[in-house]
Amino acid sequence: MNLRVVGATLVVNILSFCREKTAMFFTLAFPVILILVFGTIFKDQDSLSFTLHVQDLDRTELSAQLIKSLTQTGRFTIVPVDPAVAAAQYAKSHKLNLVLIIPKNYDRSLTERMSLDDLAAFATLTYIYDPSSTSVDAKMQLLSAVFAEINQRMSGKPPFIRTEATSILAKKYRFIEFFIPGIIAMAVMTASLFGTVNLNTELRQKGVIRKLATTPITHSDWILSNILYQFILAVLCTVAMLAVSYAVFSVSLQLNAWLPLIIVLEVFAFAGIGMILTRFVKEAQSAAAAANAIMFPMMFLSGSFFPIEMMPGFLQTFARLLPLYYVNEALRAAMIFVDHGATLGYTAVIAGVAAGVFIVGVRVTRWEENT
Amino acid sequence: MTNPAEHAIAVDRLTKRYGSLLAVDGVSFTVRKGEVFSFLGPNGAGKTTTVEIIVTIRKPTSGSVRVLGMDVTKKKYGIVPRIGVLPQSFNSYDRLTVRETLQYYSRLFSCRNPDIDGLIDLVNLKDKAGEYYKNLSGGLRQRLGIAIALVNNPEVVFLDEPTTGLDPRARREVWDVLQGLKQKGKTVFLTTHYMEEAELLADTVAIISKGKLIAMGSPRELIESNANYLALTLQVADDTAFGALSKMGFAPVRTPPNTLTVRVKDANEVQKILASLKDAGTPLLGLDVRKPNLEEVFLKLTGEAPRESPAAERTTT
Repeated sequence: MNLRVVGATLVVNILSFCREKTAMFFTLAFPVILILVFGTIFKDQDSLSFTLHVQDLDRTELSAQLIKSLTQTGRFTIVPVDPAVAAAQYAKSHKLNLVLIIPKNYDRSLTERMSLDDLAAFATLTYIYDPSSTSVDAKMQLLSAVFAEINQRMSGKPPFIRTEATSILAKKYRFIEFFIPGIIAMAVMTASLFGTVNLNTELRQKGVIRKLATTPITHSDWILSNILYQFILAVLCTVAMLAVSYAVFSVSLQLNAWLPLIIVLEVFAFAGIGMILTRFVKEAQSAAAAANAIMFPMMFLSGSFFPIEMMPGFLQTFARLLPLYYVNEALRAAMIFVDHGATLGYTAVIAGVAAGVFIVGVRVTRWEENT
Repeated sequence: MTNPAEHAIAVDRLTKRYGSLLAVDGVSFTVRKGEVFSFLGPNGAGKTTTVEIIVTIRKPTSGSVRVLGMDVTKKKYGIVPRIGVLPQSFNSYDRLTVRETLQYYSRLFSCRNPDIDGLIDLVNLKDKAGEYYKNLSGGLRQRLGIAIALVNNPEVVFLDEPTTGLDPRARREVWDVLQGLKQKGKTVFLTTHYMEEAELLADTVAIISKGKLIAMGSPRELIESNANYLALTLQVADDTAFGALSKMGFAPVRTPPNTLTVRVKDANEVQKILASLKDAGTPLLGLDVRKPNLEEVFLKLTGEAPRESPAAERTTT
């Protein structure tokens, strides 16, 4: 191992990277943009509020009070609908997924129930809804919960079953804080896998590797310099993403020694997969397509964007076979739950995978296609 | 027989097989220190495979190859610091300048005081020293490739088709550099399919065809021993001369545009042909009689034209 040679090759890779604007964009700016886009989308998820169109056919003080109590929950912004229009037609023409109708005689029924204690008196509120909408269920469930509470209060008796929520985390975390470790894992995977595939296929196709094979640089010098290069990119990428996350979304994540360790192991694992891939898929374009074919399912199935518990059972089992799943879990265990035992377990799996694929990668990598 | 200590390269019964294809078939030759050795052959003859084995980037199937006394299969890292290689279709990092590229390769060879400016001057790239590799023309890239091959001040320089794809001017510029190397006393192993290049630069020429070495010697020796005839070139208006010459028992070869080349024994045969064409009323636009060159020797020995077809050959400025 000649460190001067490793250093020189590393400098060449970094210079080439800095001078190639497209590569810089996809490696550094793209994950930052992802953080900004998804962070903005999910920023207010914890205090989610809906716009609710309400057609008050009763138009009395009591029906107005009901609307007011919906507003007071803080979850709804009320838009009144003219009582003269047909609600279903109105919902269709305005592309609304829900219109709530307060019936005529709401006031009278309520008075009968409260003043005369007439248990036969009731009011039916109607949901005019679009079942094809993905968010309408959440809206209707929220409304039903509000109405159940009103019903319960009207009964005049304290509720029997009460609930209390205790978080398993030391502090309350927002969705964006769960999301960031997933994006870091994904960005490092993309940089390492694509970086290795591009570097190997492009330089081999151009004949640069054939020239290097006639110099004193050894196979291990070359691989070490490339791994260091991928690691530097991964660190730059992670720092950029964390800086944006802290600056824009004021996230609160634990930054500890696990983070660089997990990243370096992830780089080894995906650079190893990249080396194996380029041994068997030699053309640059086919290799990039093969890298995509590995990367995309992994990105969506291993819990980078959403918890794997949302997927069917067999896919959850499959997800547990993917190395990225363990990177996601390790980063979350280290940065969110600060659970050193769990982090160690997941990191050990990544280390095992990294060692395996990297050794195979080094063994199968050839500078000449047929020696 | 020369002293083995004088051999820069010694190849003995070298064979390379790719599956059922025998690319190199029992080739043996030696290259003396300080000579320019030119390795000639048609496309696919086994030139590049042989060179790649000698420069340690391919392994032989059988036979032995020694460079500066060391076995190429066992002493790669003893050999590579002492040789310089310009591989076929040389390429480098797109976004490094000429100077940075030379600095990088000098670091790979752990050169203590590399004379980067001297190399840039040698290959006449002073004006382009700050230019990215991707912005260089084909000729400039080849010159940079030669400079890289010299960065470690090698004892033996391998140049695999250094002028392929270059226009005549760029080719001559590369020849100037190669003549400079010759004057410096470097051993140069030059692979080419340009006969005039070999004839101009080489002390020894070896011709390989279909994986076998078929002739070796100085250009003069090869011409004298293989081409005891004259080459008559006729410029004709139509194809009637071809028939007339064939009837006379000659084997004319059509060479565009509108020329026929025919081998004759001596001046008497030339006179006989001209008289016969005149009698037949065949119009003649021009003629040339000359002694054969290396190209004709090559054609005779290999039965193939040394160069790629004009359509396949691209010129680059």
